[in-house]
Amino acid sequence: MSLGGYHFDWSAVLSGQPLDWLLHGMGVTLELTLLAGVMATLLALVLLSLRLAGPRPLQWIGAGYITLFRNTPLAVQLLFWYFGGVVWLPESARNWLNAGHQLFGIGFPSTELLVGIWSMGLFTAAFLAEELRAGVRAVPQGQLEAARSQGFSQWQSLRLVILPQALAHAWQPLVGQYLNLLKNSPLAMSIAVTEIMYQTSQIESFNFHGIEAYAVASVIYLLLGVVLSAVLTSLNPSPAGLRSNRRAD
Amino acid sequence: MIRFNNVQKHFGDLHVLKDIELEVAKGEVVVICGPSGSGKSTLIRTINRLESIDGGDILIDGHSIYDASRSLNAQRQQIGFVFQQFNLYPHLTALENITLAPRHLAGLGKQEASDLALGLLEQVGLSDKSRHYPSQLSGGQQQRVAIARALALKPKILLFDEPTSALDPEMIGEVLGVMKSLAHHGITMLVVTHEMGFAREVADRVVFIDRGQILESAAPQAFFSNPAHPRARQFLNQLLSPLHLAGETV
Repeated sequence: MSLGGYHFDWSAVLSGQPLDWLLHGMGVTLELTLLAGVMATLLALVLLSLRLAGPRPLQWIGAGYITLFRNTPLAVQLLFWYFGGVVWLPESARNWLNAGHQLFGIGFPSTELLVGIWSMGLFTAAFLAEELRAGVRAVPQGQLEAARSQGFSQWQSLRLVILPQALAHAWQPLVGQYLNLLKNSPLAMSIAVTEIMYQTSQIESFNFHGIEAYAVASVIYLLLGVVLSAVLTSLNPSPAGLRSNRRAD
Repeated sequence: MIRFNNVQKHFGDLHVLKDIELEVAKGEVVVICGPSGSGKSTLIRTINRLESIDGGDILIDGHSIYDASRSLNAQRQQIGFVFQQFNLYPHLTALENITLAPRHLAGLGKQEASDLALGLLEQVGLSDKSRHYPSQLSGGQQQRVAIARALALKPKILLFDEPTSALDPEMIGEVLGVMKSLAHHGITMLVVTHEMGFAREVADRVVFIDRGQILESAAPQAFFSNPAHPRARQFLNQLLSPLHLAGETV
């Protein structure tokens, strides 16, 4: 196939070493997205409880965190943690991280990947926390009053009554944030995380078939995105009571 | 059992509860009525501290509800509250709405809590609706589930805040019927309502409140046949014949 004098050669991307690189990159992208996603989720729950139920100073810390991490570029945060963060670790820890280890039979993440997970987890947590808070605000005040009047503590009311409803309200925006996490992951190539885009540019410098490589990378992202979106949407916790307003009889 | 000692409350400049003195005996059914904005909802919401007070004290069984050595959540478990807007938990079925507190606050097992809830649903005439979500129930059915939920921890006191005001007229009867069936079985009931038929038939006492002050507290018979305070008289006239202009005397 030829277009404007350019000769397309898909085997230059889909065979041999370039294919190995791409498959490895896909694994790293998945690892980065999933681990950062888990970290962001846990941190977002902490931020949410700070903002909703914490004492004043902790509420301010939660709000300050969200302002800081939502309003600075992820690219800057990645470079900050990589060049500014890792040096604070004691030398023994840095040596240990750089040495390479096995964990459950698979390679322990490289320092670069760890910094990538860390940065993207912190960044995404701020967005998840805000989506969750919007979901909480959509729950009528009477729900909290009903729970407190029954004798539930603030925390029990949040866990048993408010959060399940908030999660149902916020689910689609939350899915969007996890998709953003996947689509932001190529920024981690700036700190040499060997994810899909890093491998793609390596193929480009290796055999100059960048167009094919970027096309294949786009298709991989598209497929990953469609699968992630479908899986998360199917996990929607909205209980039947919130999903429909149909009368049973 | 419940005693208000010179209770005061302000919303900004508005003196919403003024020098409230009220004693309610154990098992008594008291209807609280008055014009809208008179402070009657605020009055019952102070009993389980959904509203705070600025002065005076409220005692239950001789103990101040503000006694710091008594847990607020434990106190609230002894007081069932029924809201005007039902406030059922929409993500839970009728049964789960009722079992939530017994399971998480009283430590009942799943089966035990479920048996309790089914018994309560039967008591409010809704045994066949246990698996329905609130959105699948009519207003009257939702309020009956809400009453069953309020009974789930076997409270000593039941507070009703305009329980039928959000209902279509044809559903008011079923809710009042359930409330009537609960009266005079040991639970102390305070009911804010405009349903004067219920007051006349079920209440031991009617308390009339206007502009934050208790103006009259009398047996229903006396209150309806011969209200002592002119504002109570005016209120009753408006309520019983709404087409009369305010202030007009019969």
